[in-house]
Amino acid sequence: MSFVIRTIDITAIGREIVREREVAGDTLVIGRAAENAVHLPDLAVEQQHVRVTAEGGRLHLQAIGSLGFALDGRSTTDATVDPGEGGELELGSYRLQFEREADGRIAVVIRQVAREAADKAETLGGFSLGSVLPGKRPLAWTGLAAILLAFLAVPIWSHLTRPAAEPDYDRPGAVLMDASWRTGALSSVHHGLEDQCEACHVEPFVAVRDETCLTCHQDIADHAAQPRQSLARGPLPWGDAVQWQVAHAFGKPGPGACTDCHTEHEGAGRMEPTREKFCADCHGTLDARLTDTALGNASDFGKAHPEFRALLTTDRTQAEPVRVSLDDRPRQWNGLRFPHAMHLSKTNGVAQMARRLGRDVGYGAPLDCADCHTPTADGVRFLPVDMERDCEACHSLVFDEVGGTFRTLRHGRIEQARAELLSLDARATRATGRRRPGEYASLYRADFGGPGVAMLSRAMTEKGLCGQCHVPAGPPGTLAVMPVTQPSRYMIHGWFDHEDHKQEQCTSCHAAGTSDSSADLLLPGIAQCRDCHQGESARSAEVPSSCAMCHSYHPRTGPAAAPPRIARR
Amino acid sequence: MATAADDDAAFHAERRDSDHESFLLHGRMRWLKVALGLGSAAILGYVLADVDPRPNGGSWYGYLLGTLGAGLIVWLSLLGVRKRAITPGRWSLKAWTSAHVYLGLSLVVIATLHTGFQFGWNVHTLAYALMILVIASGVYGMVAYATLPQALSDNRREMTKRQMVEALAAIDRQLEAAAQPIGRVEADLVIAALGQDPFGEGAIARLTGRYRDCRTASALEALAGGDPANERVVALLRKRQAQLAQIRRHMHLRALLEVWLWVHVPLTIMLLAALTAHIVSVFYYW
Repeated sequence: MSFVIRTIDITAIGREIVREREVAGDTLVIGRAAENAVHLPDLAVEQQHVRVTAEGGRLHLQAIGSLGFALDGRSTTDATVDPGEGGELELGSYRLQFEREADGRIAVVIRQVAREAADKAETLGGFSLGSVLPGKRPLAWTGLAAILLAFLAVPIWSHLTRPAAEPDYDRPGAVLMDASWRTGALSSVHHGLEDQCEACHVEPFVAVRDETCLTCHQDIADHAAQPRQSLARGPLPWGDAVQWQVAHAFGKPGPGACTDCHTEHEGAGRMEPTREKFCADCHGTLDARLTDTALGNASDFGKAHPEFRALLTTDRTQAEPVRVSLDDRPRQWNGLRFPHAMHLSKTNGVAQMARRLGRDVGYGAPLDCADCHTPTADGVRFLPVDMERDCEACHSLVFDEVGGTFRTLRHGRIEQARAELLSLDARATRATGRRRPGEYASLYRADFGGPGVAMLSRAMTEKGLCGQCHVPAGPPGTLAVMPVTQPSRYMIHGWFDHEDHKQEQCTSCHAAGTSDSSADLLLPGIAQCRDCHQGESARSAEVPSSCAMCHSYHPRTGPAAAPPRIARR
Repeated sequence: MATAADDDAAFHAERRDSDHESFLLHGRMRWLKVALGLGSAAILGYVLADVDPRPNGGSWYGYLLGTLGAGLIVWLSLLGVRKRAITPGRWSLKAWTSAHVYLGLSLVVIATLHTGFQFGWNVHTLAYALMILVIASGVYGMVAYATLPQALSDNRREMTKRQMVEALAAIDRQLEAAAQPIGRVEADLVIAALGQDPFGEGAIARLTGRYRDCRTASALEALAGGDPANERVVALLRKRQAQLAQIRRHMHLRALLEVWLWVHVPLTIMLLAALTAHIVSVFYYW
């Protein structure tokens, strides 16, 4: 057994010099000492560093001292090499390759190499993910710049340089990218301003001002005259006082500014109704500050709200209607005689008559409320009862029949009625059964009054033509009735909507079935409303109801005064 | 001699136990308690606060949470500055890191309550989303740092990175010599394998650990079981493949260990920008 030691040196001009010698024996010692079979003059190599022993075709490498060696790049102190596969031993600046020669001998090829330190350090960085990704700093700075530009610089710049323009609901927005600033969708009433932020946010860093709201809502009125409104406001609880101090430090207007109650960007749909506490702040203890107020204290519909006060005429001498609390069980004067109970009976003559009238004319069964009461087109209230439409099917004003055609008096036209009835007497020729002698015998008329005069004279009695429903206005014998009043609204500060209560029976609130007199006020009291309606925070109530459900803050007249829910109808 | 070695080991074990307290366990989890307290207080306040008309970042409680959250975000991002100054004691970097982790987690509660659960396509939700991504990447990083170093160490098998590279180079040199006698077609396969930079793999390959188109594997496939004259080349290619596998697994684990920082750090800076835009825009359109 022998080893071929092949040393390859490289000259200064790069030429390879190969020296070859043979070492007999099975063992080879490699080291710095000159007497070794393989002598490597390098201080990093020990005097006797590695012993190579050939053991049955394989080479056993063993470190002689405590320093190891690198075989195929791996540090070790003991290893086996198959010369068929080859192996590379690195010692100091020398590389020794073990190979099997074609003739079966084992060759050790020795080369001295210079370390490529810089190159290696660069390669080692390749293990890190950073070697294949862009740097974190460039990424961060790029992202930072993009966000600041798109979401800050562009909107601010275009807001500051926008052209001055009059407020206009239909104008498109002039500020770029400010949609990215929107904190939430606007309510349906302001939906048209969705992309026109600058319509409300006029000045940078200045909170939305009342005057901005008033450019569109110029017809809105103050809730109460000053200084009464300010006087009515109670002292703020300390928590609210602190909040207001902070809010003022940040330039928020108020208290009492539009935006206190009307908060926006709360999402699409209806604007959130104003919370009960905004009203209760003043109205909860109003009498403590406004000692002359006619209003009762109210802070919660379920717990603290005065009984309703209806606007009505209580007797015939009253010139103007007055507001009366339902607690006082007021009687109503409306100039009519009308017992509801009789008309709603299921068994009496009225019911029979309605049944006989038949379905063709809209009856056919005992009367119910809808036979006489017609809702308004919006369903909120009821039209006044109309004699011709609602009563005359039964309360006929027919007074004559001529050849199968009925003649009818016209309701409300007193003088014409008188004329019609008198002319009835003039036309009728009645055979009295007695003949008088002479040429005028056939033209004789009795001079004690015909049926027309009879009807006229009885008209104002309780069984008479007019008096059955109307109250006479003059002395007996005169044909005159008291004016009839049919109020369309009893609650002038609250808004009630019949449409929303359609699923209820009329009689569950209006006790018409037991009312024998038109003087009965058939309005339900607050206790009845509270069966379903309690205050805003009453979780167990069927209908938690805030002030805004029935009341409107801004006093306007006409339908615009109603809460939006009703005003929209 | 043996006694001395045992003493040495015992000394190091003791030193490790006493000295190496995880930042997660620092100060008997003082900051975990603080963070839990903060989160619970925020939730309690959210439930009890009387805000109008619904919970919202613009209510008084919303502003309170928003201020707290913004302050926390700025402080958390200052870790990048703080970590470059290592100091001992009460406000040691470890304490700071511990607080960074736990207070960062409490920010999820605080910021989510600040939103009032109102989200949209706007800069406000952008800031929130960036914050959540930063926190999520931080949580990932924490888990990665707790679990992956052991796997990384196991994969090393007591080799340094330099040794791995040198081992591959040593195999390559032998492969180059061994391939001298083989034919043109086979030689081309070996050249292709040698020419492929083990570090040329992209981020996706490193993260998934799937290194497609490995030319060493292709060469091995083509040569194995063929001409017995190629036996030595095949053996070396096998060695090369094994060495590559170690390097690649190292790159894979390193990538998994490091990737969160590419989310955490740039997104933190972007979050600071979005947070600025969020706050300025709110006051601009006040």
